[in-house]
Amino acid sequence: MTTTDAPPAGPAGRSTGRRSRRLGARGRAVLLVLPALVLVVTVVGAALGSALLLALGLAPLVGEPALSLDGWREVAPDLGTSIRISLGIAAASTAIAAFVGLCIALAATAAVRRSRLLGTLASLTIPIPHLVGAAAIGLLLADAGFLSRLLGVDPPSWPPLVGGRLWVAVVAEYAWKESAFVALVVIGVLSSRAASYGETAALLGAGRWARLRYVTLPLAAPALGASAAVSFVYTLGSYEVAALLGRPFPEPLPVLAFRLFTSIDLTARSQAAAVAVTTALLGLVVVLLSLRALRRLAAEQ
Amino acid sequence: MSGGALRLARLTRVHAAGQPPALDDFTLDVPSGSCVAVLGPSGSGKSTVLRLTAGLDEPDGGNVHLDGRDLAGVPPERRGMAMVFQRPLLFPHLSVRDNVAFADRVRGVPRRRARERAEHYLGLVALGGFGDRPARALSGGQEQRVALARALAAEPQVLLLDEPFSALDSALREEMHDLLLDLRVRLDPTVLLVTHDAGEADALADTVAVLDGGRLQQAGPMRELYTAPASLAVNRLLGGRTEVPGTVRDGVHRSELGALVLSGSVPDGPGVLVVRPEAVRVTAPDDPAADVPGTVVRVRRRGLRALVAVEVPGPGGASVEAELAAGEELPAGRTVGLVLPVAARAVVPPVPADPLPAAAPCLTGDTLRP
Repeated sequence: MTTTDAPPAGPAGRSTGRRSRRLGARGRAVLLVLPALVLVVTVVGAALGSALLLALGLAPLVGEPALSLDGWREVAPDLGTSIRISLGIAAASTAIAAFVGLCIALAATAAVRRSRLLGTLASLTIPIPHLVGAAAIGLLLADAGFLSRLLGVDPPSWPPLVGGRLWVAVVAEYAWKESAFVALVVIGVLSSRAASYGETAALLGAGRWARLRYVTLPLAAPALGASAAVSFVYTLGSYEVAALLGRPFPEPLPVLAFRLFTSIDLTARSQAAAVAVTTALLGLVVVLLSLRALRRLAAEQ
Repeated sequence: MSGGALRLARLTRVHAAGQPPALDDFTLDVPSGSCVAVLGPSGSGKSTVLRLTAGLDEPDGGNVHLDGRDLAGVPPERRGMAMVFQRPLLFPHLSVRDNVAFADRVRGVPRRRARERAEHYLGLVALGGFGDRPARALSGGQEQRVALARALAAEPQVLLLDEPFSALDSALREEMHDLLLDLRVRLDPTVLLVTHDAGEADALADTVAVLDGGRLQQAGPMRELYTAPASLAVNRLLGGRTEVPGTVRDGVHRSELGALVLSGSVPDGPGVLVVRPEAVRVTAPDDPAADVPGTVVRVRRRGLRALVAVEVPGPGGASVEAELAAGEELPAGRTVGLVLPVAARAVVPPVPADPLPAAAPCLTGDTLRP
């Protein structure tokens, strides 16, 4: 903005002053955001950019750079299965986490007999690293684990929960950790509003179920949707739990990418990058879809 | 719609053990189709009255009766009451129309019929045509109208109003008062209103119950509370500022103002004379009708009328507040005469001296004796 479009004379001085102050405020806001912006753009941009270059054969570790889709072509036989497994694990664990997290949040914020204990347990779960959680779930669910001993089941007759076909241990670990995250976000939204709206609804004749259906769930929906989307994308791209508790083959996307990346075959790097770029694209699509859904939800509300 | 008869009997509520009760032995009748206001300063326990009536909190003693039925153990959704709070609390995920149709929807009325009825109630609060708007696209006054329509659409036996207009500006508040009076004529609901505003209670209610410190101070028509307050607390809450301590003997109050004959029978003993400023007439100091002379010490304007504080000379001195006629002006320092009409003279008991701390009596010999 220049001063030429400011109205001339008289009160213009005041107006111009206000404008420049506003500009100053905007400038300050940009300056404040800048460090974070630079960091995000540099790290994410550089990481994605170099992965893309590597996947497209433009930055090979050995040989001449040449644009090609060989990375994808060579990994294609495994890629479809890996995408299916990754999406399946993410969908199953997110669905369970959303349901359990919502139940925890409802119990923790209920107007009657609220459970502070549940809220506290949920917040205590958050800082436990996924790696530690995976080890704990492994010790709990393995065929010679705590649960099989507690129930007195022989290891051979114990179902293959860890490393089995259905990825039960992996889904369980993500569902447990992410349910705490979902619960915390939903509790944050409900704790400030659920009680007063619940009382209003009760006085309009709504019983417990009607209050849940017509008031509490709609109030919780945006926070539940957003936290579920975050949880889904995180699960889709996370490596350690699937690597520790999953099967050796077939592999979810992050495990496949990491194995190819650390392969002694240096030409496999482009395949690893192709898998990583595919994972990022899947995550982006999910984020965009959920943003659209959330925006529609907000518009309806 | 015609409301039910509500009776609150000896309601007591202690929020936390060891603390004084928020509400102590509170009894109130709200006849069918009437509007009763509970008037009190903040923290007096008036919202507790509504919460106990609505079933949102359980009383520690006493009962709520609706048309003779004891409501103990009946959850809020089955009490047949609707409440409008200070905040409108419109459901943000619903349109204006669906907010008003809420009670019908949870009752199982088909959506179309519920929406038609909602339009009718929106019309009653002069918001016809606003149904499609999202709840958040309304002004404060409109939001509170929708909250009122939503409560009325539930066809409650008793409508509970918890300072519903206190967040609105004075013009809007008066508009809402007119609306409520109009709705009372049309629908004849039973209304229990809670407010800290004596003017609001006066404008809306048939009967007013004054609550202070969790205890009922006085109940009756507003005019009676104005002219014959039962205590200093009631007089102060209703804006009375003239308090002249003295003694009553044989129907005459003796104080710094001299001997003033009282109307009605007043028991002998110490008593504080209270007079409404509107009842006091200011005349010339040598007017033979004047009961007492004094000097104007302070002038406070209230629109066209002014409120003057007149200092009456004497060893202890006494201050009397008087409202001047519209347009009348008096400078501070002017000597005037005051006429205190006999009918306007009321005597209330003096505030008892602060009781001893609760622990003190335990140490006396009397209480230790077996």
